[in-house]
Amino acid sequence: MNDQKRENLKELVEKFFGAGQAESCLQDFQEAERILREHPAPRPDDMLISNIKAEIAMRLPARRARIFRHRVWEAAGVAAAVAIVAFLGVRLSQQPDRQHSFHASLLPTAIWESNNIVADDVDLAVFTAEIEQIRSEVAALESGEDTADPDSAIAELEMELVELNSDFWKG
Amino acid sequence: MVQGDDLARVISGCKKGDSRCFSRVVDMYGSRCYGYFHRLTGNNDTSDELLSELFVKLVEKIGSYRGGSFESWLFTIASNIFHDYLRGKQRRKKLAEVSHEELEWEIEEPKQSDGEMVDRLQSQLVKLDVETRELIMLRFYSQLSFKEIARIRSEPIGTTLAKTHRGLKKLRQLMEGS
Repeated sequence: MNDQKRENLKELVEKFFGAGQAESCLQDFQEAERILREHPAPRPDDMLISNIKAEIAMRLPARRARIFRHRVWEAAGVAAAVAIVAFLGVRLSQQPDRQHSFHASLLPTAIWESNNIVADDVDLAVFTAEIEQIRSEVAALESGEDTADPDSAIAELEMELVELNSDFWKG
Repeated sequence: MVQGDDLARVISGCKKGDSRCFSRVVDMYGSRCYGYFHRLTGNNDTSDELLSELFVKLVEKIGSYRGGSFESWLFTIASNIFHDYLRGKQRRKKLAEVSHEELEWEIEEPKQSDGEMVDRLQSQLVKLDVETRELIMLRFYSQLSFKEIARIRSEPIGTTLAKTHRGLKKLRQLMEGS
């Protein structure tokens, strides 16, 4: 069944023209369509139909080639997208190494990169002993055991700490 | 009458590039589309050209058909082809106006090729304006509902209905008076 036969023309005409005009309006439609049916247009020539079919058959390989090219481009696009995503994935997976190197940079580079473990251990032992000494001096000050001027003692300790820190980072 | 399932199979074949399916579409719709073009142009040669162009376009655009009424889709293309033809004619008219009158024969109202009988309906149809003529032919040859025609023409259904009614009434009067 075609689209036209599915519609209810009477209902449509009544809706737009009102019930009063609907009948004459429908009659106009029916009469005019009868005239059109009674005067059919010429039919296409058989030769024309054959030529059209031949032309379609001739154009189809070109259409198939165009579709193939289109699909190749689509596939290439998808492959490029996958490659980019994979590349970004690899780059992102390398991020923890960067973090690791960041943490490593907290240690003095000279010690971190040094291969002389014995010498480095001696340095670390000296630094540790100095830190221990300072800590005990701070504890003595806090407990009031040291009777010297507290302000100058603290200033002296701060100087020592600065000096120690500087030595440590020099390696 | 073309059955829905049969048409769906044929269109599916067309999408796969099967030439037999395209031939089937030409057989199914060739006469109706030719009638549509012929009643609009009144000329066999022009109708031949427009019909060929329609089916060439069909081959190119079948991939863009996404279901729904195939008639509506096909006649939308046919209508666009007719409008392109009209625009081309307008260009030629302007060209003829500024240069010579040698193309004058092309800008006259549609007429039959030499040796053809002008039927009574065709001679009255040319008295209607192009828009009304196209609307009547679209309704008659596409067999589409007014709702679908209104959608193709991007206008309210009431407007389509009123224009078609006025056109058909005038055509009836012209035919009865001739």
